[in-house]
Amino acid sequence: MKKAKEKRSNAIWSVILGILSILYMYPIVMILFNSLKDERAISTNTAFQLPTAETFAGLANYVNAINAQGFLKSLGYSLFITVTSVAAILLFCAMCSWYITRVKTKFAQGLYFLFAFSMVVPFQMVMFTLSQTADMLDLNTPWNIWVIYLGFGAGLAVFMFAGFMKSIPLEVEEASMIDGCNPIQTFFMIVMPMLKPTMVSVGILEAMWVWNDYLLPTLVLDIKKYRTIPMLIQYFRGSYGRVEMGPMMACIMLTVIPIVIVYLAGQKHIIKGVAAGAVKG
Amino acid sequence: MASITFKNVVKTYDNGVTVVPDLNLEIKDKEFIVLVGPSGCGKSTTLRMIAGLEDVSSGELIIGDKVVNTVPPKDRDIAMVFQSYALYPHMTVRDNMAFALKLRKEPQEEIDKKVNEAAKILELEKYLDRKPKALSGGQRQRVALGRAMVRKPAVFLLDEPLSNLDAKLRTEMRSQIAALHKRLETTFVYVTHDQTEAMTMGDRIVVMKDGFVQQFDTPQNLYNYPCNMFVAGFIGSPQMNFLNVTVEKAAEGQVLVFGDSRISVNKPELEAYIGKEVVMGVRPEDIHANSAAHVGEPAEYTAFINHMEMMGSENYLYLDAYGQKMLARIPARYEFSEDTTVTLAIDTGKIHVFDKETTNIICH
Repeated sequence: MKKAKEKRSNAIWSVILGILSILYMYPIVMILFNSLKDERAISTNTAFQLPTAETFAGLANYVNAINAQGFLKSLGYSLFITVTSVAAILLFCAMCSWYITRVKTKFAQGLYFLFAFSMVVPFQMVMFTLSQTADMLDLNTPWNIWVIYLGFGAGLAVFMFAGFMKSIPLEVEEASMIDGCNPIQTFFMIVMPMLKPTMVSVGILEAMWVWNDYLLPTLVLDIKKYRTIPMLIQYFRGSYGRVEMGPMMACIMLTVIPIVIVYLAGQKHIIKGVAAGAVKG
Repeated sequence: MASITFKNVVKTYDNGVTVVPDLNLEIKDKEFIVLVGPSGCGKSTTLRMIAGLEDVSSGELIIGDKVVNTVPPKDRDIAMVFQSYALYPHMTVRDNMAFALKLRKEPQEEIDKKVNEAAKILELEKYLDRKPKALSGGQRQRVALGRAMVRKPAVFLLDEPLSNLDAKLRTEMRSQIAALHKRLETTFVYVTHDQTEAMTMGDRIVVMKDGFVQQFDTPQNLYNYPCNMFVAGFIGSPQMNFLNVTVEKAAEGQVLVFGDSRISVNKPELEAYIGKEVVMGVRPEDIHANSAAHVGEPAEYTAFINHMEMMGSENYLYLDAYGQKMLARIPARYEFSEDTTVTLAIDTGKIHVFDKETTNIICH
């Protein structure tokens, strides 16, 4: 009796979640189809139609997207910014959380609240002063914009790292000190490896955000010289309001694919990492 | 190989709480010392001060012939086994044990040799390539021991290493650790709250309470000659009986009056207490069902059996004697039953008398 009831509720949930996932997937699937269609076939009337024999354009849009606007260069910028930003966030925030959780002073406590508070402040509130400051400090190139990303990413990262680190028994670090580690060695040889699940989940969350971010690089970077991929997509709008729909769709697909791969590879760790701080292992 | 000396050591935490008010202790080289006491008595803090994990607020801590107050843990030539094992979860058993040696940059062959040797002694050879989470509690504890062993430290510190194990394994590990001490011939400092562990393992035992050393002596002396009521009650299981008695002058010596029972003793120390109430301590095993097995004069008294516990070879009798509770350990061959009144005898050669106010010993 109970089993049958359970089965039925499972079925209902499957249907609900199935519909939800279709709703989420639909725009991406639509973009995928349209990216394979001839440009004339992408209009408000025909946007929802599947590609047919006549409208199917093969990979022409993709070739176009890659060649036309300096896609590879933008890809390089995006990749570089994402990698450096995420690496900086992981390294510095892990160290910072270690300090915050292990040093029990009012200063450390205050620091923690500051980090948590920074998550609450909306980006729009600081963006104009930020672009000024970035110019003043010469932080307006892809090579050093990671400093700014470090600042914005630190709130979430410190919050998650600190949550997990509280569950690591202090004895392990004490044992390493007795075994002969100095604090730097203890961090890199003992604490960092134990943080791995949280590292992966923080890394993926931050990577998705930095990779897809449009507003911050637009405000900070010199638009004429440096375009990240989200910025580039915009430039398929030509003059006189003409939009190169086909290559644009192709470009969006090319942007989405890497981050989806990263997410799929690490999704197991995301759940582990998020749960790790909350539940004592 | 090193001795450890505490000279007027004080430990006060940042929040102003003093856990160790004034500690003086001399631990000899190659000794197995057990620090024992109820939780919060400062025994773990004392051990952590030796390890260098807690600062010494004032006084001198000497390992070997060096004052180590400011020496970091890694330079003290000590090894520590923690209650929670504190193994490195991301390393295999082999790497856990080799970690300290690798940090010291010892040659790889040397490391392999030492790790394999330790693994053989601790019967861990099969598990060398496993991660700690794939091991049972007892195996993890052995890895922690192995990690400490391979370094051949001058001082071996153990912080309640057996309290996470089940009773059977605990007994087994107890003898393993004792054997390890014999083999390694180094100074062992062992912290526990379990008096059985302390009695069975220590060469000498430090009984602590509220940060003060109550008594520092061999297990036999602690058992036979406790210096106050705390030590008398803490060492020995089941606990010593404490009975309020009055001292009276007799023709020869004194008499301890306990209900209808009058126990004759002859101790000059008791002269000062004539007419006063004192506490008489009697261990449950020094109460006998007949008069044959006594060392001193048997002193008979009657008691009511409230409750009885069968332990197999012996019975625990929970008694009510002249309004005072007491416990007797009687061999199972004597048949008693609950809710009856019996006559038992206290071995007067084994009684302890304590001052009621100071709780210190008056005479044994």
